[in-house]
Amino acid sequence: MATIFEAFTDGWGRVLRAPAILFGVFLVTLLLAAPAGSAIRDSISGSLGSSLDGGAMADGVDADWWARFSDAATGLDRTFTRSVIGFAAVLDNLSRFLDNEEADASLAGLTFAYLAIWLFLIGGILDRYARMRPTRSQAFFGACGTLFFRFLRLGLIAAAGYWLLFGVVHAWLFEGLYGRAIRDLTVERTAFAIRLALYGVFLALLGFWNAVMDYAKIRAVVEDRRSMLGAFLAGWRFVVGHPLKAGGLYLLNTLAFAAVVFVYFLTAPGAAGSGAAAWAAFAIGQAYVLARLAVKLAFYASGTSLFQRSLAHLAYTAAPEPIWPDSPAAEALANAAGRD
Amino acid sequence: MARRLMLVLLLALAIPGAGLRGTLLPRQAAPPPDAAAPVDRSAPLPAARSPRNANYSIDVRLDPGARALIGHEDITWRNTSAHPTSKLCFHLYYNAWKHAQTTWMREARLRGRSRARSVRAGDWGWTSVTSVRLLRPNAEAVELADRRFASPDDGNEADETVMEVLLPDVVPPGESIRIGLDWNARIPRTFSRTGAVGSYYFLAQWFPKLAVLEDAGWNCHQFHAGTEFYADYGVYQVRMTVPSSWVVGATGLERGRTDNPDGTTTHAYHADDVHDFAWTTSPDYLVRTARFEHPTLPAVEMRLLLQPEHAGQADRHFDATRTALRFYGEWFGAYPYGHLTVVDPAWQSGAGGMEYPTLFTAGTRWLAPRDVMDPEGVTIHEAGHQFWYAMVGNNEFEDAWLDEGLNTFSTGRAIEANPAYRVNYQSSRYFGGFVPWVFRDIPVSREVDENGLSAYRASAESDAPSTPSFRYFPSTGGGLSYSKTALWLHTLERHLGWPALQRAMSAFFERWKFRHPKPQDFFDAVNESSGRDMTWFFDQVHRSSTVFDYGVQSVMSETLPPAGSRATKGSAPVKRSTVVVRRYGEAVFPVEVLVTFEGGETVREAWDGKDRWKAFTYERAMRVVSAVVDPDRVLLLDIDRTNNSFTTEPRSREAARKWMLKWMVWLQDALATSSFFI
Repeated sequence: MATIFEAFTDGWGRVLRAPAILFGVFLVTLLLAAPAGSAIRDSISGSLGSSLDGGAMADGVDADWWARFSDAATGLDRTFTRSVIGFAAVLDNLSRFLDNEEADASLAGLTFAYLAIWLFLIGGILDRYARMRPTRSQAFFGACGTLFFRFLRLGLIAAAGYWLLFGVVHAWLFEGLYGRAIRDLTVERTAFAIRLALYGVFLALLGFWNAVMDYAKIRAVVEDRRSMLGAFLAGWRFVVGHPLKAGGLYLLNTLAFAAVVFVYFLTAPGAAGSGAAAWAAFAIGQAYVLARLAVKLAFYASGTSLFQRSLAHLAYTAAPEPIWPDSPAAEALANAAGRD
Repeated sequence: MARRLMLVLLLALAIPGAGLRGTLLPRQAAPPPDAAAPVDRSAPLPAARSPRNANYSIDVRLDPGARALIGHEDITWRNTSAHPTSKLCFHLYYNAWKHAQTTWMREARLRGRSRARSVRAGDWGWTSVTSVRLLRPNAEAVELADRRFASPDDGNEADETVMEVLLPDVVPPGESIRIGLDWNARIPRTFSRTGAVGSYYFLAQWFPKLAVLEDAGWNCHQFHAGTEFYADYGVYQVRMTVPSSWVVGATGLERGRTDNPDGTTTHAYHADDVHDFAWTTSPDYLVRTARFEHPTLPAVEMRLLLQPEHAGQADRHFDATRTALRFYGEWFGAYPYGHLTVVDPAWQSGAGGMEYPTLFTAGTRWLAPRDVMDPEGVTIHEAGHQFWYAMVGNNEFEDAWLDEGLNTFSTGRAIEANPAYRVNYQSSRYFGGFVPWVFRDIPVSREVDENGLSAYRASAESDAPSTPSFRYFPSTGGGLSYSKTALWLHTLERHLGWPALQRAMSAFFERWKFRHPKPQDFFDAVNESSGRDMTWFFDQVHRSSTVFDYGVQSVMSETLPPAGSRATKGSAPVKRSTVVVRRYGEAVFPVEVLVTFEGGETVREAWDGKDRWKAFTYERAMRVVSAVVDPDRVLLLDIDRTNNSFTTEPRSREAARKWMLKWMVWLQDALATSSFFI
């Protein structure tokens, strides 16, 4: 148990000691959302035009205008629903995730780009957390580049597992099993309890696979594995070999995520006000997003710590420090000077 | 009598194919009315509220193991039309779910109802009539073997929801006959609110039921996915045999209860002056009672059959029912029965939110926030149907708007009138629909939400409401029957004033309670009570599918050069402002235009709204800063309210920025959620 807490606190320490990573991924999230936000802003502004409804929407909510906007919405505008208000945003996204509801097609490109950026950055992030020292941008991005294609290959294995979970297991649990269990049920709370239990089962399976893939990435980085099949099997062996530690740490990180969500539940602003109030609400929202991303990074950092502790080579990485090659001109000068 | 008989015989000979499948008595071929002074046979009987011309005595046994009903009914029916008839027309509603090719199932699929696509083999239901006998006093009963299914609406030969029975003799106007039927029914897994799930049974449209004979012939439609029912008033005496420990609720009042040796109990119910009979039984119901009292209205004993998981919501159901009984009673007329049963249907029974005489189903959820009017809204609506449907018995096949529209309007008004319901917000449900979230920034408004403006907008031009309701495109009927009617009634309320509309609705209620009104009867009541001919309005909202859309096209101001007599020393320069308003829709309604100048001065202009556009020009020291067409929002049918206003200082960018920021947080959270996969 002590190892779990040590890994957890150590993981958070590693995240907080590398603020550039945290703010980097936050900035990526923000910058990716900004152009889409700009498009939504233009749509809303265009719909409101010179109407007095603009004032109503600035001060609060004009439900009549919103309904009309939604009735005519296409593309990205379809996602502008009342679920964007305050904590409903979190409920909406978590609910869609757990109920496997398809995201609006207009967000597919954005989501793909976001995942691709994460896939690129994750190598450098894990390398940084494993080394527990600043690696500078050259080394960071060197690791990103070195590991990107490996993680792309690993991603195929991960995707197969997630497809199995969301495409097959989810349907089996929530359409097949749940459907049969509640078919003749007339008590809603019993049905909800069954659904909660199935959420638990699904999350456990999902968490297991997610942990395996996390440790596969961690081992690929820490042990400089080239074979991603080998990394996957190593990750699997680690999770299966240390179920209490790996599971306990995963649960602890999940609780940290729940705590972040709970704090946002308490602080999430509503729809009133514009100007400074809107920016203040945005700032609270950004603090939540930042905290949420920090939790995500803590999953990796604490996992790295746990793996390193468990294998008694804390802070050890087999990978050589990446050396960024000199420019051709510098190399030519060095050659001329007989350095080689 | 002999003369009438001769006429009918001649008629039968003269019409080739009369009585064949799919053929009803042709309306145009009906014989002329009696030469004698017209007799209103549909008037209430002496000492009764209604004509009582379709009276049922039914014995029915529920077999839960087989999910079946075994029934026998005696019907005493009186011909209240002006013409004799030689046949009877029955509704066999359960046959709508006999197989996938019934008219109801076809329309439900067209409508996109998921229930029509998720039918399992054991879900189907049907009614099988095994015997129909003409019961004659002091004579042997005559088996009426000449029976056939008819499909008068669409010619669908696979549909068996209408059964015609030929009689050996005609039934002249004013005369009565007695018919005995034996039947059995397979209870469907709930379709369209009737059926069973688990040990919960809600039984509506469960027995062979006579259609309505009008002067134009039998008004007997097949069961459609988008419309409801039509029947004559009468006295129902129904004896239901169910397992002994099960709770029963039904139309009317329980008059007796007999325990049988086989572990069953027979519940005897009696109901006067109703046009339908529904009942429910389940071992799980909690029974709660309360009383409605009012200084000027008759008291009503309320009986609530509640699901155990909703035990804490009994008062919410009673308060909502009281709200309906009070306000509908004060506005339109008293609820006279003295008793009312409220049924809280079982979860996923699909029986929620439906009206039956002296009984209705409400519907709530296990997690039901107090500041969301659910179950209140549905309870008030269904209780309100006791007035618009149960008492004023319009033809729901053809004029569904007469009860649904009037009731939707009245529901919104009753919610608004009850101060306890002022806190009423929009909500959404997450995680499989179980977890509610209340949007306390978005109050529910009567004008938009209770009236269903969005639903109307989606179906505004789909059909003219004067189209028989069963012929509406199946998925748009709700937007027309419920929403459009509520919107135009609310528009009338604002145009004529509530006192005038209240008088009209009250007069309509009093004139047509326990009878069968037609649309023109309502329009006549409005015209007479208001003292204004609103035919121009009804032509547009009822007999057409055109839409109302007024807007401000532009507001322009220019400073005039100081010239001529206009220039005086030291005076402020004069500004000429022009406001152009436009009628974008085809429909016409008189509107006002509110023009606001710098400094806050306002001017109200009247516009008859007939021309396509109109310009208002002002020469003042201050320029116009905003203009609003229909500033008091009288015309609630206007499908685009945003273009009704124009300001020279719009805040749309400010609003857009604010909502962009909120949307971005949602998007960032969505992206962060997706990053789980990396």
